[in-house]
Amino acid sequence: MILPIGPIHPGLKEPLRLKLQTQGEKVIKAEIDYGYVHRGIEKIMEGKTWQKCIYLSERICGICSYEHTQTFAETLETISGVRAPLRAQYLRVITNELDRIQSHLLANSTFFKTLDHETLFMHVLALREYAMDSLELLTGNRVNLGWNVVGGVRMDADERHFNAILENLKKIEDGFDRHIALFEEAPIVALRAKGVGVMTKEEAIKGHAVGPIGRASGLKHDLREEHYTYKDEFDFKPIWRKEGDNYARTLNRFYEVEQSIDLVKQAIENMPKGDIRTPVDIPSGYGEWRNEAPRGEVRYMAETNGDLIKHISIRTPSIMNIDSCAKYMLKDVATVADAVATYASSDPCIACTERVAITDIDTGKSAVKDFFEVK
Amino acid sequence: MLKKLKDIVRKSSIHVCIVNCGGCNGCDVELVALLSPRYDLEQYGIYVHNNPREADVLLVTGAVTEQWRDNLRRIYAKTPEPKIVVAVGNCPQSGDVFAQEGGRVLAPVSDFIPVDAAIPGCPPRPSEILEAVLTVAPGALAAKGRAQDARKD
Amino acid sequence: MSSLIWYIYEFARKTWIDGFFDAKSKEDIAHKPDRFRDFPNVIKENCIGCGSCTASCPSPNAIKLIRDSDSEESVGLTYPIINKSSCIRCGFCAEVCPSTPKTLECGENHFIREEFNIIPSKRKYTVDDYLCIRCKKCMDACEVGAIEEIDDRLLVNQSKCISCGKCLETCPVKGAMKGVFVNNLEEQKKIINLAVNTLEEYIESKQDALIQLGTDKLFLDELKFKPIFDKSLSILNDGEVVHEVLEDAINRLKIRIITWDGDDCKKCQMCIPDCPTGAISFASDNDTIVRDKEKCLRCSICYQTCPFGVIKYFLAKFNLDTNDNDEEVIHISVKASQLAERRA
Repeated sequence: MILPIGPIHPGLKEPLRLKLQTQGEKVIKAEIDYGYVHRGIEKIMEGKTWQKCIYLSERICGICSYEHTQTFAETLETISGVRAPLRAQYLRVITNELDRIQSHLLANSTFFKTLDHETLFMHVLALREYAMDSLELLTGNRVNLGWNVVGGVRMDADERHFNAILENLKKIEDGFDRHIALFEEAPIVALRAKGVGVMTKEEAIKGHAVGPIGRASGLKHDLREEHYTYKDEFDFKPIWRKEGDNYARTLNRFYEVEQSIDLVKQAIENMPKGDIRTPVDIPSGYGEWRNEAPRGEVRYMAETNGDLIKHISIRTPSIMNIDSCAKYMLKDVATVADAVATYASSDPCIACTERVAITDIDTGKSAVKDFFEVK
Repeated sequence: MLKKLKDIVRKSSIHVCIVNCGGCNGCDVELVALLSPRYDLEQYGIYVHNNPREADVLLVTGAVTEQWRDNLRRIYAKTPEPKIVVAVGNCPQSGDVFAQEGGRVLAPVSDFIPVDAAIPGCPPRPSEILEAVLTVAPGALAAKGRAQDARKD
Repeated sequence: MSSLIWYIYEFARKTWIDGFFDAKSKEDIAHKPDRFRDFPNVIKENCIGCGSCTASCPSPNAIKLIRDSDSEESVGLTYPIINKSSCIRCGFCAEVCPSTPKTLECGENHFIREEFNIIPSKRKYTVDDYLCIRCKKCMDACEVGAIEEIDDRLLVNQSKCISCGKCLETCPVKGAMKGVFVNNLEEQKKIINLAVNTLEEYIESKQDALIQLGTDKLFLDELKFKPIFDKSLSILNDGEVVHEVLEDAINRLKIRIITWDGDDCKKCQMCIPDCPTGAISFASDNDTIVRDKEKCLRCSICYQTCPFGVIKYFLAKFNLDTNDNDEEVIHISVKASQLAERRA
C-alpha cells in the first residue's frame, strides 16, 4: 500500500510529502512531492540592485542563510575581480563555521527526535544555543545574519567578541565528548541507526549526493578544500566515513562540528589586522561561484547589468540529497518509523530547493522543478 | 465553578501545531529552538505536537504559497474548537520580501483563516515568540472556549 | 542506605527547593546583545526627507516617508515610519541614512563608516559645465554638501550624493543639472533610436504637404505619444525611465528634411560632385537623379547648389505636451529653412 507522510507531520520540520510504498512494515519504494514552499525568489531578485539582493538571498533558506550571502557576495566579487580583504575573509570563516556548527547540531538533534531519543535531542539542542549566542553577539541577529556585503563584511569584531566566542565554544566542547560517547554506545541508537538507510559509494555518485551525506558514503569531497581562504590560510582536511548509513551520517556531522570549532579557533588565533571592506564597482558580466554550505555544495550563477542583477540561478545541495534519499536510502528500510528517521538523517532543507516553477502552457499545470532537472 | 475549572484546564495545557505554509524556514528553526532547555517551552504547559487534529494553537509561519491555498483552510477546519491562530514572523502578516514583483505568494494568511495574534520579526527571537504566545494564547483560548460553551447552551 | 542519606541531603538543599518551586527559565533568555538589530528607532527631528531609506529597503512595504500637516508656526516634519510587520531588521536603512546625526538607529549599524554608504539609485547627478551659470542655488539646497566648487566649476561628489533630486528642482537653468540614468544604457539607446526613426518616417510621409509649403509658413501637426511609449516599454519595462528618456529625446530632436521634386529636375547633375558622401548619383538607364537616403547627411549643400530650386530644405521641431483631452501628444512644427529666404 502507499502510505503518505506529510506535509504536516510530527517528524518533519518542513512541508513535504513522502509517499512510501510499503509491504507490511517494510518500505519498498519512496517518492517525494515537492512544491509546498515555492516562492519565486530568483525572479524577485531580477532587476534589483545587488545591495538589496544580498538581503533577499538570505531569505532563500533560514538554516544555512549565511552561506547563501557569502556565495552571492563571492559571485559578484568574481565578476568585479576584487577579493575581500584578508581580515574580512577570516571573519567570514568564523561566521561560516559557527553557522555550520548550529546547522549540524540542529540536524542531529532532529534525527534524535525522530529516533525518540529525547535526552540527546535536548542536550544537543542546548549546545546549539551557544553557537546561536555567538552568532548573535557577532552579527546582531540569530538566523538571518545580514553580515556579508559584496567586498567584505559589515562590521568589525574586537577582542571582546572573540573572547565571548571562545568561551561559548569551550562550553560546546566540554559536553561534546560525552554526547558523542552517548551516541556511539547507546543501544537504542545502535538498533535504529546502524545499518539503516545504507547508501553505497556508487549510489551516492549516481544520486549526486553532496556534503556530509556524500562524505558519509565515502565521497572525499569538500569544497572548502578549493576555497581560496581555506586553501591558503587554514589547516583543513575533509572528514569522511565509508559506512553510508544513518549512524555514519550523524557521526560525520558530529566530527565536522569538532573540526569547525578548531577552524574558528585557528581563525581567532591568526586574525590579521586591516580593512574589513573594499569598495567594489560591478561591471556587466557573468560569474559563478561554488561554496560548501552545511548541507553540501551551493552554486550561484549570476549575470549583472551594471549594479542590477539581470539573471540569477541558484543550485542548492538539498535537491540532490533529498533525491538520493528517496531513491537509495529509503529503498529497503525495515520499518516506517525508520524511514522517517532516515529521511531526517539526510538533513533535508526544503526551503532551499524550491525556486523555479515551470508552467506547461498546453495543460496550464504548474510544477515546481529544480534548476538541475531543467538543465 | 465549572466554567472556571474549564478555563484553568484550557489555560494550563496548550497543544501547538506548527504550520509552515511556505517561508524561508527561519521562523521554524526558531520555534525548534524554543524546545531547547534554554527556553523550555514545555515548562509553561505548552506541548509542540505538530498534529492539527490535536492542536489548540496553530503557529503559522511563511507566506502562503500556491500549494497551500486550499490545504491551509483544510488544516484549520480539522483543528478542534476552541482554537487560535498565531502568525509567527513577517511572512504570514505581509508576505515580507516575497510580496513583490516576481514573487508567487498569496500573503497575508488572514485572507484564508482568521488570525488572533501576530509576532513581527524576520525571524522573531525565541524569547519574543515565547513572550507573545504566553501573553496571548491562554487568555484567548479560555475566552474562545467560554464563547463556544455559551453558544452550546 | 547511603543513597537514601544522599537523597535526603540533596532534597533538603535550599537551592533545590527553590529550583523546584520556581522552575522557570531565567531572565537572561530575553537578554539582547549590543549589536542586536531591533526594529529601527526613528528620531524624527534629524530627518532631511531624502528618501534614501525607502530606496534602499529590500522589503517592499517596510518603510514609508510621511509628513505631518503644517501648523501655523512651522511646517510639518517629514520622517520615515517603520511597518513592523514588514521590516526584516537588516539595518540597511540605518546604514545608508545620510543625515548627521542619523535619523535611523538600528543595533550598531548606524556606526558603519560613511564612505561605504551606497545608496541604490537609478540616477547619477552631474552638472553640465557648459550650461551652468554658477548661481550655486544647488549648493544651498543640497542637504549633505555633495556639490563642491573646484576651480570655479561645480562638481557633484558621487560618494556623498544621496540622489535626493533637490538640486534638480532648484536649478533655474533647464538642463544644467542632470539626473542621468546610469543603467540599461543599451536599452536607452534603442528607445531613442525608436523614437527618432518613428518621427522621421512620419515626417517623410508628409513630403507632399511640405513641398506645397510657402517659405514663411509653418506646417503644424500632431502625433500620438502612446504608441511610441508602449513600444518602448517592451524594450525596457520601467515607465519612469522610459518616459524621461523619450521626453528628453523628443524635445531636443531637430530633423532636417530634404524634399526632391523629381518632375522639375532638369538633370543638370550639378549636385552630384558637390555631395560630400556620394549620396546622389545619376542613373543613366532611366535618366533620373537618385538620392540614397541612407547615405544622406542632410547637410543642405545640394540645396544650395541647385540652380532651379528643385531641392527644398525644411527644419522640423518636436515638443511633447498634453492636449485638451489630457492625452500626451507630440507637437510637430516644420518650417522652411532660413537659408531659403536668403536665396530667394
